[in-house]
Amino acid sequence: MTRPITFIDLGVGGMTCDDCVVHVTEALESVPGVERATVHLESRSAVVEASPDVSAAALAGAVRATGQYNAFERGRRPASDG
Amino acid sequence: MADSFDLLILGSGSTAFAAAIKASELGARVAMVERRTLGGTCANRGCLPSKNLIEAARIVHDAAHPRYAGLAPTDLPVDFAALIAQKDGVVREYRAKKYASVADGLTDLELIDGDATFADPHTVLVGDRRVAGDRVLVATGSRPTIPLIPGLDTVPYLTSDMLDADEAGRLTELPESLVVLGGGYVAVELAQMFSRLGSRVTMIARSGLLSGYEPDLGRTLGEVFVAEGIDVLSGARVERVSAAERGVALAVELPGAGRIVRAERLLVATGRTPNTERLGLDRAGVALDPDGFVVVDAELRTSQPHVWAAGDVIGRQHGSQMATPVGARQGRIVAENAFADARRRFDGTVIPRAIFTDPPIAVVGETEAQVRARRYPAVATATPLAYVPRAGAVHKTTGFVKFIASSIDERVLGVHVIGESAPEIIHEAAMAMHFKATLADFIDLIHVYPTMSEALKIGAQAFSRDVTKLSCCAE
Repeated sequence: MTRPITFIDLGVGGMTCDDCVVHVTEALESVPGVERATVHLESRSAVVEASPDVSAAALAGAVRATGQYNAFERGRRPASDG
Repeated sequence: MADSFDLLILGSGSTAFAAAIKASELGARVAMVERRTLGGTCANRGCLPSKNLIEAARIVHDAAHPRYAGLAPTDLPVDFAALIAQKDGVVREYRAKKYASVADGLTDLELIDGDATFADPHTVLVGDRRVAGDRVLVATGSRPTIPLIPGLDTVPYLTSDMLDADEAGRLTELPESLVVLGGGYVAVELAQMFSRLGSRVTMIARSGLLSGYEPDLGRTLGEVFVAEGIDVLSGARVERVSAAERGVALAVELPGAGRIVRAERLLVATGRTPNTERLGLDRAGVALDPDGFVVVDAELRTSQPHVWAAGDVIGRQHGSQMATPVGARQGRIVAENAFADARRRFDGTVIPRAIFTDPPIAVVGETEAQVRARRYPAVATATPLAYVPRAGAVHKTTGFVKFIASSIDERVLGVHVIGESAPEIIHEAAMAMHFKATLADFIDLIHVYPTMSEALKIGAQAFSRDVTKLSCCAE
């Protein structure tokens, strides 16, 4: 049985180029419990697939720790909805 | 289905813009709802247009009163309509540069015209449109207070809104005579401006000029006003307002006497009221205080956790003041708290403030009465500007600087200045207080000679030396 997965929607500030996308993706994927992060430059957002116990503060904190970017949670939905 | 945003801002003044800019940087999608003109009070009908016209009035006055032997006074003809037209041009240009184009340059910002009323804690109605915000900022500002005086609602009257470039109530003709109701900062600035441009001005001030400030500031200004021909009625109460053959008539109760004051126009400048009653804040679960100000904590959060309030709508809570740069600072704090979990608190300890009369006034920190009221041991000294070399050199010696300092460690608690360049020199005092400076720090700093800023050095020295015996450069 696989672990339950949640989709977490984030707003992301401070990105200007594809390198930024890489940095934010790496920051989000460094958080324990995160399976995958998909970061969008144009819409300044990210979707994180993670275990439900990953907190908004952990994700935002990892992104802010880069010193260049900001993230905040918009909402989350269970993967089973699809 | 509602349009949905990360941050929904009600209002579009300095508070709203600072919040929108910072929130956008932090990644938020922002909507801003404005019912009047983009830019709020300051840009459209407050600081900016008044400062424009006040400077024009100063030029007219200085031409007629050149202060120097050898310079002949001259009367500059005033074309009031042209003066107003150039002011409108300045306002529109400033609005375009500092607000409209800034808004255009922000990612994910939508400006929405109309009246917003809450339908529920996350949603406002703007006409037929539903606009939702995950977080909300109430930054709807304030408007002139209209006092309850019998008959006032039966006559036309002006407020500071007359300074607007585009609204119906704008003033385009110079009144031959004007009665100004109020004695606060708006009242004194506009009274002197109209007087210098040629109106015969009477001020009716219930508690004198600039009550709440250091008392000698209002007293000094009052003497200047009387010398300039402004009739200042202090301790006066208006019993009734009625229409007169040409303008208005006010029945005024003075200490021991009654009097009828007549003028072509009436300007009501008796304070400012928060714009909160039409928003349906009860449906958002946002609490107001008895005067209609939105109750906030030091992080500027209201009683509803996802709703913040900032700017004029919070009044004087947490040391706040109704002032453009104060709102802007708070707007930025709200964005950082809402989207970066910054937990920043508003600190109102050091807020410099100016009143653009001539001579101008500028203050920062506490008054002597405020320090005494909290029973803090303090010393206070006022030094006339006559001891400042530059003041004498340019024949502008009216005024003083007053320091209030701790008796324990000489830390400066308040600086109050009336005199030439006060709004500029106050920043030295504000920066010093920001770094918790003592009287010795002001004395230690080498000041440019001869400048009005030397008043601060001399004012600090006055606690320990006889400043009438200082040589050049106040050493």
